[in-house]
Amino acid sequence: MKIEFVVGLAILLLTSCESVQPWERGTLARPEMQLSRDQLGDALYDQVYYSKEASSGGAGAAGAGCGCN
Amino acid sequence: MKTSQTSPLVALCGAALSLPAISATQPVQTEMSIKTSSYEERDLSERDVVVGATERYDIDINQFRLLAPVSRAWSLGVDISREIMSGASPWGTVAGVDGEASLIMSGATIREKRTEVSLSATYYGQDASYSVGLIRSEENDYDATAIRLGGEWDKNNGLSTLSLGFSYSSDDIKPTDAETYGRVAKEDKDAVSASVSWTQVLNKASTLQVGAGVTKHSGFLNDPYKLRDVRPDEKLAWNVNLRYRRFFDNQNAALHLDYRYYSDDFGIDSHTFYAAWYKNLGARFQVAPNVRFYSQGASDFYVAVDDYSLPAIENQSTDYRLSSYGAYTFGLKVIFNEINWSVSAGIDHYISSGKYGLSSGKDHPALLSFNMASIGFDLRF
Repeated sequence: MKIEFVVGLAILLLTSCESVQPWERGTLARPEMQLSRDQLGDALYDQVYYSKEASSGGAGAAGAGCGCN
Repeated sequence: MKTSQTSPLVALCGAALSLPAISATQPVQTEMSIKTSSYEERDLSERDVVVGATERYDIDINQFRLLAPVSRAWSLGVDISREIMSGASPWGTVAGVDGEASLIMSGATIREKRTEVSLSATYYGQDASYSVGLIRSEENDYDATAIRLGGEWDKNNGLSTLSLGFSYSSDDIKPTDAETYGRVAKEDKDAVSASVSWTQVLNKASTLQVGAGVTKHSGFLNDPYKLRDVRPDEKLAWNVNLRYRRFFDNQNAALHLDYRYYSDDFGIDSHTFYAAWYKNLGARFQVAPNVRFYSQGASDFYVAVDDYSLPAIENQSTDYRLSSYGAYTFGLKVIFNEINWSVSAGIDHYISSGKYGLSSGKDHPALLSFNMASIGFDLRF
């Protein structure tokens, strides 16, 4: 998949957004609708994949490194 | 059409409807989480190992997190992670009788511990929050100290959030048995990282986050335990990522779709796709099957077999993490929610192969397969 396609898709979605009033945001406030449903779990996955694959990043600025092999 | 049932947790969240739905807001209660996990890599086949142990890493991980509101505009957070690791790691490769790469593994089983402590403070203003964090990670052969700064600004009446993050990490490397095996005695490296993201409410049931990040690594980037591992002393890495959340009323479920593109000047680029389906079963149970696909190309200086005819300063590495391959993770999580607490359990199975990648790759004999199981408990008070 070309990165250009993904960026184009993101722009298309961002430009098609609707106005949602504060009292209409109940669904968006559900735990399973948050970007991270499980912060400890996500930290664990980040650590595992950071240690075992060449790529990292995508969850905000990086934290401390490790000598994991 | 089925009517979705409202869990106690959702009812609690509903009380805060006047708050922006997507930005970091001050927690109204203290949140405490603990999680214990077991990570086990599949052992190597004896035919792939010329010398050394065939056992790969097993890791027991215990995590603790506390986030507490303090006064009217602050929160303080503590994260502690403790890992106990045992197993063997690859030292290098040689050409076997069939010409294929075979592994030289560390002989004795390695036993290590890692402890990471992170302290954070966040200030919540009218339409913004600002955070600072200090992180310290200690192992018997590796120490890291990092500082992290972040800010979030609500825009468009809370429908959009701009986030910025910066971090700096200073790492010290002190390989064990350095004199015995001729390893470097002490080295260091730094990493400076910046990230930006824009999170947007698309409609009443979906949000999208678009983000980007860049990290500059400097210093000793070689693997000190490998027999011949020479890498550039600087690396610039960047990524672009998307995170999409969509709730389906008729399914009473939420779809998570994530994508990340990564590239660095070692020559590696990668694609990561992740999808999860958070299905509510009644008011309290949730199951979340998920799948992750990862594919990376090889670094410019990756070689299948260590080449000792090259000058010792010329870049080369047989690290499987620099080879071309793809990987799948299949996971399942089960969550039970009560008003002030929840329990979760999850399992994950990871497999990797040169054949799974988007670009062609030959199987490195050290490519991983692992299983991970976790149990977690969350409490709000």
